[in-house]
Amino acid sequence: MQTFTYEIKDEIGIHARPAGLLVKAAKGLSSKASMEFGGKSADMTKLFAIMGLGVKQGDTITVNVEGPGEEADAATLERLLSENL
Amino acid sequence: MRERIFGVLQRVGRAFMLPIAILPVAGLLLGIGSSFTNETWLQTNNLLSAMGPGTLLYTILSVMAACGDIVFTNLSIIFAVGVAIGMAKKEKEVAALSGAIAFFVMHSAIGAMLKITGAAANMLPGAVAAVVGIESLQMGVFGGIIVGLGVAALHNRFYKIELPQVLAFFGGTRFVPIISAAVYAVVGVLMFILWPPVQNAMYSVGDAVRASGYGGTLLYGIMERALIPFGLHHVFYMPFWQTAVGGSMTIDGVLVEGAQNIFFAQLASESTVQFSVEATRFMSGKFPFMIFGLPLAAYAMYRCAFAEHKKIAGGLLFSAALTSILTGITEPLEFTFLFVSPLLYAVHCVLAGASYMLMHIFGVGVGMTFSGGFIDLLLFGILEGNDKTHWVNIVWVGLAYAAVYYFLFLGAIKKFKLKTPGREDSGEETKLYRRADVEAAKGKAASAAESASGGSTSVSALILQGLGGKANVSDVDSCATRLRVTVFDANKVDEAKLKQSGAAGIIKKGTGVQVIYGPRVSVIKSELVDYISTPEADIEPEEAHAAAAPEETPAAAAPAEPQKSDEAMAKQGESYTLYAPLNGKILPLSEVPDEMFSNEILGKGIAILPDTGAVYAPADGVIEQVADTCHAIGITTDDGIEILIHVGIDTVKLNGQCFDVRVKDGAKIKKGELLLEFDISDIIEAGYPVVTPIIVTNSDDYAGVLPLTAGAVKEGGELLRLVRN
Repeated sequence: MQTFTYEIKDEIGIHARPAGLLVKAAKGLSSKASMEFGGKSADMTKLFAIMGLGVKQGDTITVNVEGPGEEADAATLERLLSENL
Repeated sequence: MRERIFGVLQRVGRAFMLPIAILPVAGLLLGIGSSFTNETWLQTNNLLSAMGPGTLLYTILSVMAACGDIVFTNLSIIFAVGVAIGMAKKEKEVAALSGAIAFFVMHSAIGAMLKITGAAANMLPGAVAAVVGIESLQMGVFGGIIVGLGVAALHNRFYKIELPQVLAFFGGTRFVPIISAAVYAVVGVLMFILWPPVQNAMYSVGDAVRASGYGGTLLYGIMERALIPFGLHHVFYMPFWQTAVGGSMTIDGVLVEGAQNIFFAQLASESTVQFSVEATRFMSGKFPFMIFGLPLAAYAMYRCAFAEHKKIAGGLLFSAALTSILTGITEPLEFTFLFVSPLLYAVHCVLAGASYMLMHIFGVGVGMTFSGGFIDLLLFGILEGNDKTHWVNIVWVGLAYAAVYYFLFLGAIKKFKLKTPGREDSGEETKLYRRADVEAAKGKAASAAESASGGSTSVSALILQGLGGKANVSDVDSCATRLRVTVFDANKVDEAKLKQSGAAGIIKKGTGVQVIYGPRVSVIKSELVDYISTPEADIEPEEAHAAAAPEETPAAAAPAEPQKSDEAMAKQGESYTLYAPLNGKILPLSEVPDEMFSNEILGKGIAILPDTGAVYAPADGVIEQVADTCHAIGITTDDGIEILIHVGIDTVKLNGQCFDVRVKDGAKIKKGELLLEFDISDIIEAGYPVVTPIIVTNSDDYAGVLPLTAGAVKEGGELLRLVRN
């Protein structure tokens, strides 16, 4: 399993638009990705689950990626996060 | 940012139009009334016995003059109320009442301060004056405008305020007069402190403009013309016409500020020997190029029109020229060449500036109510007599201007092959609407209804198509010559079609579109608004084609292609229905101006362009999440359908403003329950589209997400059918 953390820089936090991007990316991965914040974990293919975490600017999320190709997939997600959030 | 400023200024300019509209009428009354009752004038024309004091005619004319004069004397409160109305978004009558109250309160506060401190003794002569009967600081129309703008801002902020139960009676619109009075009591005290320095500063700015002499007049004239394309000229010249910036003068013992006010005070005064050129230099310059120059430019354009287009181009140019000559409304003419040759317009600006300067040099003292057409020249120049106005110089300079404009335009059009009206390539149409174009432009389906309903409807249809269809139009308004429209997507605006409809020009800034038609715009606007509310307006070009194929059902006609491929699977599995959460017009997601939605990245669904600001539950279920910024609601229905209702595009940036959420996360909801209220006009005002996508975010679980309705839908009406995989 690959794990990394990311601090949200977008001033609005994770709202519908970036959440949608994450979901789209996560659906295309061969691994299973989940996001942890505030003691809750969300399947990254579920839009409502991600938005339900209520992640704000300055919050640090933990992303877990597990499965075949997890290294490449984690890198993909990390790049996506840094480009959009 | 620039577009925001343009939007605000455009609204301020629009708000000015209402109080400005009274000026030509008041000016006519005052002009005719006081011209023919001026005893010096009567004496010189030996008319004292026929229409001097004591005659019926004299009495009638005196009443006319008094009725016109009262408007000019009380222009400040007229602006306070008029601007408040223009800038208020809704419940405008409350803003009007509040504007009047705030105006009284502010001046009474100033008056009380003056009395208590005895400060008036140390002020400039005329700094204190009777304003609507209150002894207060002379603030001119500025006083009215700051009241109007401030009250409108308070109004838009507070007209829906909810107060605690005990005070509930004073909530909502009733709160607006209260807060306005309170705020302007404070503003009045502040003005007592701040205004005298401003007064001094304004006198010195006026001095500087006046001291710069002819150069200053030239600059003023160039600026005034150059601002026309932006519709901002009213904002620029108004201070010169109405405040101390344009000079001040004591007439019959009363201090009068502003060029136009000075002129009309002199007009009403019997002691006037000659009109103050220091005042009229901000006005007289319009006559030579409006009555003489521009009409000859129109003639040059007519001469250069190709033979086959001459007749049509001639009609357009002749009416535009006549409007300029008579009323001094020049935009219809100016916009025929502004867009084909901005350079020519720049030259026109300089010539106009020079015209102001020449009038200044030749001591022409002719004022005007609104603009420099022949009616004003007759009333305020010719009838006042050459001794008082030197109006004859307008004719000499005007004739020279006629020649300059004629040859300038003839030369420029031929040399640069400018496509002025009637010179379009054979492929293009002259910038006039022709019935044949409309027939061709409209779909077959629409043409039957169209031929029954006559010409004006088809112009409206053309305009609406040019604006990108009914769904793209958010707001329609008009000023003296322009149709002012706010659209959702400026890229959908088809300028060629708008020009076919008779537009002289089109200006686009962000989502604001101004289409210049000339004075007949008010009729065009009314007809367009009427047309928009008819069913034909719902037929969009694409839909018209679809409707032409009779075998297609309404449900299948509107949506985009992808959904259709799902149709075959509709008969398999269990199916569920979602109901419309909003009232409005249904659009396919592909028309939502955001890739996230139009490319179905968040899921399949549909969009509604709402016409009321309320979201209702589309099915029984649970509120999964309300965005902190209140613009979006996630719902999981009892059948497991995950729905995201996203009000507007990019509205996350409004940070909760404009939205009023009625439910909390985790709440159980019943179909039709009110979830969220929002203010459509506020969202549009803030610059965001209000189209609301309704997305099934787990649409992968469904074989089909099929629209059940096309066109308009009511809250609770069948919207989507989902078929489980």
